[in-house]
Amino acid sequence: MANWVAHSLADGIRSEPGPDARYLPAGATPGRPVSQRLNEQDAARVAALCPNDSLAVREDNLVVNFTHCIHCQRCRQPGGDLQWRDDAQWGQWCDSVANPLPHRYRRSVNVRYLDAGACGACMGEVRLIDAPPYNLHRYGIFITATPRDADVLLVAGPVAEAMRLPLRKTYEAMPEPKRVVAMGVCAIDGGVFGQSFASNGGVGEVVPVDLVIAGCPPPPLAIVHGLLLVAGQLQSLKDGEDAKP
Amino acid sequence: MSQLQTLAVVLAAHPGVKSSRLGDDQLVLKVLPETVPGLVELLIGEYAFEFATLFVEDLAETPVLQYSFFHPADHVLVSLRAYAVGELPTISGCVHAADWYEREIEDLFGLCFSGHPFLGDFVLHDDVWPEAVAPMRRRVSATTPSADAGRAATWQPRQQLTEPGSVVFPVGPVWGDYTEAGLYVLEGPGEQIRLAHTRLFYKYRAVEKVAEGLPLPAVLLLAERCSGNAAVAHGIALCQAAESISHTMVPERAKRLRVVLAEFERMRYHMAVLAELAGSTGLAVGKAMGQELEEFLLRLAARISGHRYLFGLVAPGGLACDLDADVLMLLDSELQSFLARLGRYRRWLEASSSFLDRIEEMGMLDTATSERYATVGPVGRASGRNQDLRCSLPYAGYKHLTPTATSESEGDGYARMRIFFQEIENSCALIGAALDGLPTDAVSAHWQSCEGAAHGWAEAPAGGFFDWLRLDADGNVLRWSAGTPGYRNWHAFHRAVEGNAFQDFPIIMASFGLSVAESDR
Amino acid sequence: MIWFVAAFYALAASIVTAWVVPLRFRPWACGITFLAASGLVLAAGVEAIVSGGAAPVFSGHLALLEPIGFALDPLRGLFLMVTAIVFLATTPMVVRDAAHYPRHRSALFLTLVAILYAGMLAFFSAADSVSFIFFWEISTLAIWGLITFHTREARPVAAGYLTLMLGEAGTLAAMAGIFLLTSSDAGTALSTIVQAGNRLPVATVWIAFLLTFFGFGVKVGMLPVNAWLPEAHGSAPRSVSPILSGATLNLGVFALFVIDGPIAGQHPSMALLVLLVGALTALTGIVYALTDCDLKRLLAQSSIENMGIVLAALGAGFAFISLAHPVLGGMALVAGIYHMVNHSTFKTLLFLGAAGIDQATGTHDLDRLGGIMRRMPAFATAFLVGTLAIAALPPFNGFVSEWLLFESLLRVVEVASQSVRAVFALSGAMLALTAGLALTCFVMLAGSALLGRPRSEAASHAAPASLSTTIPMWALVVICFALGILTTAVIPMLGDIVQPVAGANPTEALVPALFSTPHGLPAGLAADLSGIGAEVGRGVLPLRSLVVVHSGGASTPVIFAMSPALAFAVIVLLLLGTWGVVHLLRRRRTRPAAAWGAGLPALQPQMGYTATAFSSPVRVLFNSLLRPIVREQQHSKGSFRVGVQRETHVIHLVERLFLRPVTCAVKAVGRSLAWLHQGAVTLYAAWVLAALFVALLVMKASL
Repeated sequence: MANWVAHSLADGIRSEPGPDARYLPAGATPGRPVSQRLNEQDAARVAALCPNDSLAVREDNLVVNFTHCIHCQRCRQPGGDLQWRDDAQWGQWCDSVANPLPHRYRRSVNVRYLDAGACGACMGEVRLIDAPPYNLHRYGIFITATPRDADVLLVAGPVAEAMRLPLRKTYEAMPEPKRVVAMGVCAIDGGVFGQSFASNGGVGEVVPVDLVIAGCPPPPLAIVHGLLLVAGQLQSLKDGEDAKP
Repeated sequence: MSQLQTLAVVLAAHPGVKSSRLGDDQLVLKVLPETVPGLVELLIGEYAFEFATLFVEDLAETPVLQYSFFHPADHVLVSLRAYAVGELPTISGCVHAADWYEREIEDLFGLCFSGHPFLGDFVLHDDVWPEAVAPMRRRVSATTPSADAGRAATWQPRQQLTEPGSVVFPVGPVWGDYTEAGLYVLEGPGEQIRLAHTRLFYKYRAVEKVAEGLPLPAVLLLAERCSGNAAVAHGIALCQAAESISHTMVPERAKRLRVVLAEFERMRYHMAVLAELAGSTGLAVGKAMGQELEEFLLRLAARISGHRYLFGLVAPGGLACDLDADVLMLLDSELQSFLARLGRYRRWLEASSSFLDRIEEMGMLDTATSERYATVGPVGRASGRNQDLRCSLPYAGYKHLTPTATSESEGDGYARMRIFFQEIENSCALIGAALDGLPTDAVSAHWQSCEGAAHGWAEAPAGGFFDWLRLDADGNVLRWSAGTPGYRNWHAFHRAVEGNAFQDFPIIMASFGLSVAESDR
Repeated sequence: MIWFVAAFYALAASIVTAWVVPLRFRPWACGITFLAASGLVLAAGVEAIVSGGAAPVFSGHLALLEPIGFALDPLRGLFLMVTAIVFLATTPMVVRDAAHYPRHRSALFLTLVAILYAGMLAFFSAADSVSFIFFWEISTLAIWGLITFHTREARPVAAGYLTLMLGEAGTLAAMAGIFLLTSSDAGTALSTIVQAGNRLPVATVWIAFLLTFFGFGVKVGMLPVNAWLPEAHGSAPRSVSPILSGATLNLGVFALFVIDGPIAGQHPSMALLVLLVGALTALTGIVYALTDCDLKRLLAQSSIENMGIVLAALGAGFAFISLAHPVLGGMALVAGIYHMVNHSTFKTLLFLGAAGIDQATGTHDLDRLGGIMRRMPAFATAFLVGTLAIAALPPFNGFVSEWLLFESLLRVVEVASQSVRAVFALSGAMLALTAGLALTCFVMLAGSALLGRPRSEAASHAAPASLSTTIPMWALVVICFALGILTTAVIPMLGDIVQPVAGANPTEALVPALFSTPHGLPAGLAADLSGIGAEVGRGVLPLRSLVVVHSGGASTPVIFAMSPALAFAVIVLLLLGTWGVVHLLRRRRTRPAAAWGAGLPALQPQMGYTATAFSSPVRVLFNSLLRPIVREQQHSKGSFRVGVQRETHVIHLVERLFLRPVTCAVKAVGRSLAWLHQGAVTLYAAWVLAALFVALLVMKASL
């Protein structure tokens, strides 16, 4: 019989610093494009590479609207060569209005994760948020299977039409106070699936969304960042250049 | 090759075959729809072909059905094309694996297959969509069909068991901690599951319809993201179809690197499945260690390619960008340390009798059932059905790099676990072999879109699948049939669940390691 | 005494009114007479208990027969009280249902009920063997008549035949046993018969004991002669089942107590047999109750279980008495009698509930009920209290009697013999398992019938229950509660009742005065205890306490005792206080919402957990006992599976092991004797001639 206790004690503490750490481990995040100065020609060329309208040219600047980025990497590959930043603080309040849960919920938040059409990438990332490197539980945030106990509804996927009613029912089954977090670009604006007869084009079309976590998929650090924002344990970045237009 | 020619001659003489066209390794026959079952029985029974895929193209006045088969030993494809006029007979009696394909066609195209007892309420759920909505027909736009909110109140789950006191126990669509959306209807008189019925397509996002009219690079984005954890495999299949259409020769370096990326993805996929399996049995430390190994591979992927799930690497003609030498050396060295840790993990798991107790003789899929449902991938290999598209129809660099065959015959959860471990090790070996003597030529050939249609295929981590791509003169997609191994493995899943206890259901599901997103598209 | 006799006149009046009064007024008229009779019996019973010793009611001679006599003493008074309470509670339902029959059948029904009542009353007061057997037989026939009252239906008729057959066999056996005991010329008075019987040779006493034990045990519902009970109580008319389960089972208990008790009190092995049979009966009863989804049959099986507990308690009591521990014996007998009283109350309550459910929904299949609590809250709450009581949960009465039983079983440590301890341990283990299974069973019952969503059309359109059901049920709820809370007042009364049989009064051992130092303490300890106020309040609150932990022995006396009534009052105050504080401090904002259904469009009735599903782990566990016969059929269309049909059939253990072998043996004997009946008339004549010849030879030889 394998002695799991001894093995895990021998491995030691495997939790790593959270999303607001100064230096993130290599590979923990794919990074994201950042707004930067580029001459008009280059900016136009690079902006044309983006398939989901997250790059725009404004005077001498290439402005990035990260909430639409689908991580196709075309702007970063040869032919684009755009600068990316390795960070994971990708949680953003909708309409820039911070609305965390009341103070007494800070260190005790229950999250109900709902799959509204997410692909395997978002599923894989969200399953890792309570893995040892990211260790969601140390923040007092737990995943619950019933919306009756949940404070936060974490939704991924563009809301496939067949999941529209289950999403609404889950939202209505949650008691107040509650917050809805849309993770991944599909949940924000439908991503590559957009709006069709089978896809609602984002969680905001079905239930009111409080916080979005951009990325395709958002790495576990970014998801943890979003949950920490909603719990009120972190303040959102006052990073003007990445605000929604 | 000559066997294909003789086959072509034999089939051309068959009544009901209107014309035939022989290509290199491919035979396309135009047939009458009512003769299809007879031809299918001939191909499968006498000539030992395997069923590949079945789809509809609705581009002209009358829709066209295409049944595709492949021969694992002779590496050839045979397709039967028929106009969908008159009565369309079902082939599910002969090829039970065609069941879900026919149901999908009925829901999305409105074509009925006579003799099939379970048409309807498949892709388009009866409680969401009104009857007679066929959204994939060409005249229907992607935004027109709208859901009917009033149908929800009268929906009933399918009930097949008549036993006094039996319960129809629904699991889903919102259930568990981190589970994918899907409904599993379990019927039984209490603890035991007598019958199970899998109701998927809660995540149906209509990628095939959205793709129509888009240029290929945009459809490549869809292919990667409709099943994110098998992005490379679906990307490779689509790109190969495009390359077949334009007869582009992919450089050798690109082929080998495609093998490296595909095998790396397979390793990471299986590692995630193993971690989930440990977690489903309640072995929390085992799950945590498995997740750490999975995270290691994800970070390695980001370090070598910029994305944890390898998005944006595969492009028509080769790869979108090169992986330079020090990145590849990093890959090689890191994989060695990974293998050591994996071996240690495997030894500990196989020494945990409480863990093995819960997966041994659990979720049995015996060889006969596996053959009837034509399961693919690790699920099939654990039940004695070793189908591998990398060997049957070698693509990318697999022509010169043959993967080691793995096979078990018990078909229980433990057999599947052993297959997962074995495949990770095989993938590591393949990556090493692919990187050994990697040519230094270009990593991409220029791909020019042109009109045409072709199959593309790949062995995804969950099993092999076949795509079909048709482009118009401008290079936009006219029809993309996105294949998935889910139509075989999810189809057979309910047989593995029946006869077990309710508590074992999550464990059996974890031991299958299937993706609902990949199946629903 | 007058009241007792007057009750018979009231019953006679009720028979007359049943036939004379027109159908419209019959329920009221008969109801009044029945209630009057019950009231009179109740008064007579109270008087008998209060007055103490035996009081003869009537004695006389019948032509050609031995003298007959009727008497009342506290024990008989208790049985009369219990019977009266059961009949009081069920009278409204009986007369109401009788009005639904056609004119003459309704009169016949009421007559049968009156005859049953009168027969039971006479039986409980019978003091000599002739009237004992006679009124036993009257009661048996009246029971049979009531069970088969729906003569057009197959099930009641079949059940009735089995009841009658086993009942008559039992009566014959019991009669044979009593005749064996009266073989000495001691007259016909019961008490003298029994005492004289103890002076007979051991073998004769054993045979008499076994005959009377299994003979009278048919009525009790004992293994192996209880094959008739589940079906009989399950298919009897719905207003009669409460009487059958609540009152008629006590007939057997009384018979065993009076006839077999004194005998078993002299022979330890007989008493141990009673104990084992009781434990086995309880266990099999509850296992079959758990696997049955018919409400009335489930309750009938549960009656078997409760009677098994009563028998076990009586057996333990007689064992202790025969082993010269009269106080312990008294304790166990008190537990047994207490449980019998409790069973009459909560079983009547539950059967009234079953009748009410049948009235409201038309079905008593647990898998098709559900949601009754919402539709009939008052009725369902009373039913729920009944299930709490029978599952032995405080503060209701079932808890007290089962607790006393286990406590007295544990006292076997004071007996030296290892074999006795082994038997007690085994029986105790079986009874403990029974208690756990009983809890499971009644959670299943309450959950399936009352809670959740209705699982059929009938249940979802349940009409509200009538007052004739609900009010008696609530009266019984109050009685259950009182018997549970006022234990310390009931036990002294029972202790006085069992004293003549046990030889000692267990009251002080069970319920010592609340504020008192126990006897037999070392003087120093007694002084310390009185110093800290152990005697305070003795004059002020003359209460008794229920012994909860008892260390036994003279040197280590009572350590912990409590008063259930006070404990309950304190708990209620605490709960009220907590509720009040929380209610004042909390800010509540609630909004009504639909039940969470995992995102499904709607929850369907077939998704609800059925009683069969709840009890399936028990079925799996006891599979080797139940031996179900399974028939499965698969329907396919090509390689598609279209449907599966599965049926399970369980044959009762008693039927498998006892009835079927016996009937097969009888048939075999009959077949082997049939050869005598084949052939010509001349052969029969030859047999007769041969028999005559042999008889003449014998006569010649004896002259």
